Amino acid sequence: MDLHILDHRLRVTSICKNGLVDFTHPLIKLIFLRNRTRCKFFSLTETPENYTVVLDEEGFKELQPSEHLQVEGSVWLPLNVVSNGNASSSSQAVGVTKIAKSVIAPLAQQHVSVFMLSTYQTDFILVREKDLDVVIHTLEEEFTIYREVGGECSAVLSQEVHNGFQKNGKEAHQLTVHPVLIPLNHFCVMSLDPDTLPAIATTLIDVLFYSNSPKEGTLPSQDQDCIKFFSFSLIDGYVSLVMDTEAQIRFPADLLFTSSSGELWRMVRIGGQPLGFDECGIVAQISQPLADSDISAYYISTFSFDHALVPEEDIESVTAMLQQKRNEPAC
Amino acid sequence: MSGSKPDILWSPHHTDRYVICDSELGLYRIGPVGSAENKVGALLLSDETAATLLAINSDTPYMKCVAWYPKQEPECLLAVGQANGRVVLTSLGQSHSSKSKELLGKEFVPKHARQCNTLAWNPVDSNWLAAGLDKHRADFSVLIWDISSKFSPEASVVTEKNRLPSGDIDSGMVVTKPLYELGQNDACLSLCWLPRDQKLLLAGMHRNLAIFDLRNTSQKTFVNTKAIQGVTVDPHFPDRVASFFEGQVAIWDLRKFEKPVLTLNEQPKPLTKVAWCPTRTGLLATLTRDTNIIRLYDMQHTPTPIGDETEPTIIERSVQPSDSLIGSFAWHPTTQNRMVVVSAANRAMTDFTVFERISLAWSSTTSLMWACGRHLYECAEEGGGSWEGAVEKDIATKMRQRAQSQYGHDTVQVWMNHMLAGGDDPQLKSLWFTLHFMKQYAEDMEQKQQSSKQVLVYSGIKNIVKSSSGTTENRRCWSGSERQANVLWFHSEERSLALRLCGWISQGPDIDVEPFLRSLEGDGEWERAAAVALFNLDIRRAIQILNHGASSEKGDINLNVVAMALSGYTDEKSSLWREMCSSLRLQLHNPYLVVMFAFLTSEPGAYDGVLYESSVAVTDRVAFACMFLNDTQLPRYMDKLTNEMKEAGNLEGILLTGLTKDGVDLMERYVDRTGDVQTASFCMLKGSPGEVVKDPRVQCWIENYRNLLDAWRFWHKRAEFDIHRSKLDPSSKPLAQVFVSCNFCGKSISYSCSAVPHQGRGFSQYGVSGSPTKSKVTSCPGCRKPLPRCALCLMNMGTPVSNCPDTRHGTGTSDEKVDLTRNNKLSHFNNWFTWCHNCRHGGHAGHMLSWFSDHAECPVSACTCKCMQLDTTGNLVPSDSL
Repeated sequence: MDLHILDHRLRVTSICKNGLVDFTHPLIKLIFLRNRTRCKFFSLTETPENYTVVLDEEGFKELQPSEHLQVEGSVWLPLNVVSNGNASSSSQAVGVTKIAKSVIAPLAQQHVSVFMLSTYQTDFILVREKDLDVVIHTLEEEFTIYREVGGECSAVLSQEVHNGFQKNGKEAHQLTVHPVLIPLNHFCVMSLDPDTLPAIATTLIDVLFYSNSPKEGTLPSQDQDCIKFFSFSLIDGYVSLVMDTEAQIRFPADLLFTSSSGELWRMVRIGGQPLGFDECGIVAQISQPLADSDISAYYISTFSFDHALVPEEDIESVTAMLQQKRNEPAC
Repeated sequence: MSGSKPDILWSPHHTDRYVICDSELGLYRIGPVGSAENKVGALLLSDETAATLLAINSDTPYMKCVAWYPKQEPECLLAVGQANGRVVLTSLGQSHSSKSKELLGKEFVPKHARQCNTLAWNPVDSNWLAAGLDKHRADFSVLIWDISSKFSPEASVVTEKNRLPSGDIDSGMVVTKPLYELGQNDACLSLCWLPRDQKLLLAGMHRNLAIFDLRNTSQKTFVNTKAIQGVTVDPHFPDRVASFFEGQVAIWDLRKFEKPVLTLNEQPKPLTKVAWCPTRTGLLATLTRDTNIIRLYDMQHTPTPIGDETEPTIIERSVQPSDSLIGSFAWHPTTQNRMVVVSAANRAMTDFTVFERISLAWSSTTSLMWACGRHLYECAEEGGGSWEGAVEKDIATKMRQRAQSQYGHDTVQVWMNHMLAGGDDPQLKSLWFTLHFMKQYAEDMEQKQQSSKQVLVYSGIKNIVKSSSGTTENRRCWSGSERQANVLWFHSEERSLALRLCGWISQGPDIDVEPFLRSLEGDGEWERAAAVALFNLDIRRAIQILNHGASSEKGDINLNVVAMALSGYTDEKSSLWREMCSSLRLQLHNPYLVVMFAFLTSEPGAYDGVLYESSVAVTDRVAFACMFLNDTQLPRYMDKLTNEMKEAGNLEGILLTGLTKDGVDLMERYVDRTGDVQTASFCMLKGSPGEVVKDPRVQCWIENYRNLLDAWRFWHKRAEFDIHRSKLDPSSKPLAQVFVSCNFCGKSISYSCSAVPHQGRGFSQYGVSGSPTKSKVTSCPGCRKPLPRCALCLMNMGTPVSNCPDTRHGTGTSDEKVDLTRNNKLSHFNNWFTWCHNCRHGGHAGHMLSWFSDHAECPVSACTCKCMQLDTTGNLVPSDSL
């Protein structure tokens, strides 16, 4: 398997809900006017708390500093696992599950904090630029590591970092078991021909920016069991959308791509308090059991919480599994 | 193809049909303009061709790519890849075959919807259709569908869960199970099947090119590159593939797949299409966005002796099929270099043939050949006697004929050379006569040992008259009349030399033109003779000549009338005769008659009517000037005339310039005008002062003439020329280049060579030893050891060749040997010693010639040297064999 370090330098930011009005112009530009911006990596996720925006430095220039804009201090680099065609396709489980054992667990052991971003097309593992040496050192046994610069891949040779290399803190770190929330919404992960983006522009703007405006016909009871979650990403020309079925029906059906089986997903939200960026092993503690049970998953980190999407038919077993973990004595 | 960008596909089997796809599919038929079926609704594609729309299909929305079914039947089946990844089989026009009914409307649906980027039918197993899709995290991007497969049971068993509405799938026609799935978690942007094997598929994936082998799907060969779009195999070289990325095209050799064999110059705009020409090897057409030109790269592999490391030569060209921006283009599958271009904006089409570059070559013998596409054209001069004279022959033909007739080689009767040249060129005639007279005079002076004059004579009349001194002037009488002529007549030694060079007078102190007049009469040049007689103030003789002319066979009867007019000459200034003659003379046709009357009617000392009558031979005008112009007028006139001659490159001017630098200037103009290096070479070699021959221009003419003779395979002529040249210009003798040394003592066996090393031309130049020495010629003159033996007759070198062994054996060789003089023995070419420079075997030239006439290998047994093949000209036969 190959691990590609992609040629993007990313910033993770958050826009609070009532500050959104200051940022609608740059966001619309980044979403719809691809030719006007040199931003190649853009992801916008709406959660009940805030909007998480992950973008490269070209895109980051568009965002004006404001009291409503929170920026995580580090530069993040996206990693991408390429199966290289040789991977056995016996395992039907995809996404985070596939890389849980090979990437996420070793990085958690080395105390490297990761920020996950799953899309329709692939899974991005964001790591801090300063952790890159540790990451390369940790993963080079399992992977052939390539670094993409200016569109050309070049293999990354193992740097002799033994003397300067320090493991990030203690190894046997006590893992906090975070509370999880399982809302009732059904989610779907979809894609779109970027050329047809203009056709859904109004709907998309409506869903993204006017979700809080009161709508007729919405039952108040839903607010308790469902959470607002909508993710849009435009990365290297590929569009990926994650939305609940509620939002999905507002889009024209023939424009959005999804699996022919029309599968639906349930969400597991991790964290009771905002998780911060320094704690590691959060992704691992969710993905590890899913990998053990061979359950597919999407995993989307946001500024405050992490979100895992699992197939709706597996939600029972996932719930049981998480429950069991909670009851286990921490080891 | 999304939205406005159209594409064109030619039908694989009907060379007159093509499909244009943009938002819908349109089938067109192309035909000649004005054919009956094309009349209604025909779109003009070029001056000769028009297209008719046959059918439109707009059933498939969101088209991303189209591929035409490669088999004959069903004939118009198209696979359309859609934005959601589905591949639909559709058709244009009616097709009634059951197979097509079975296939039409069939859909192939990937597990996860995403854009279908490319489609490729397998050229061998036409049921296989490869589709390249965008990336999905869990799915494969290269799917190979079997179009003959029945719809899969999985699709019909739709699970009853809460599913998304997945469109109006007519489940009966939907196939969801591909034959092969390749490229997991990757994107595929372009595909093509490799002709090497039906199970090899080349795919342009995200950031790499991959070759999938369907016999073993877990294996793939891949190379990381950005150039992953539009992979296409050269139809003429199954291992050559082109792909592109933005503005750059990469050419790959699948046998050496690590990196592109070459990348073509980057174009400023992103490329949209790259296509190999199917009818012409190595021609690649590329199109970029927003342009009205198609750029062509002509890649020709020229084998080099250094090895195949060199990159192929690429010739880059641009063609502009029409003024509008090009949307797409497609090569015609069979017609050479033809393409149809569709405009980006309004689907305007143009039928266009890329004109092939023309390469042209002159042969050394006037014919011309050029190649264009697959055609070779030869243009030869029309030969045959009947056409002669109609068009002037090419100078190369003339020079060839002249070379064969020994032109330039007559060193005794120099004027004869103009006869050898054909005798029909007045300039050459004048030139060779001038050279003849110069030589004659020089020889006279040599006898009188006046070498200074000898040099002067070659410097031309212009310089001769300038050096003139002691001119006497007198008033001459009209001969045969006592009347005092009203003209001044000048005389000096130099002027009479000039007259002699002009050919008017011959050797001797007297000014007697009578022999010249007789020769002119003999040649039938009556008017000229009469004019010369008149200029010598012998009006009676002039009249007499004209009368002769009128009565002669070929002469003009009107000459009598001229004679009558002449006889009425009066020097009365105001006479009617004078008045009429001066005005009417201009109506005469013969220039000599014109100048005669001009002379008679002009004022003394003002002879412009004679001097500037350009139709009169330069010799006559110069001679006239030398007689009637005074010392101030004459040099001025000479200068003026010389410049005129130089300007025109007229060889008659050599009379004035002589063989000086001026003469070379004049000759340069002549060569520029005619290309006649032959005359230039021979003429300049006659120059007595060596400086002229050393002029680089002269050397250039000589070398070119020699090369020309070589190119004509006139090797004997070339040798003759070299000999001729070395006689006239001793400095041109080449130094001895080869010496033969004795194996035993190491000394040169060529006595003369060693004694006088730098004059050993002839034998030693050709590597043949032999010289008149007193020692026995079969042994080394130094140590008297025997010379090597001839590889064929096994005799020591120096023994003569026995040409006819039969007679030799009969009569006894010793007698004959005695008969041959030493000179004969050595000069006879067959006796020369020659050897191969590679294996160093050799022998008598005659023996070697006959051996190699039917062998390529060395005559020495066990020597495998292919001596004859090492000699590039060895197999050519001289075309001027003596």
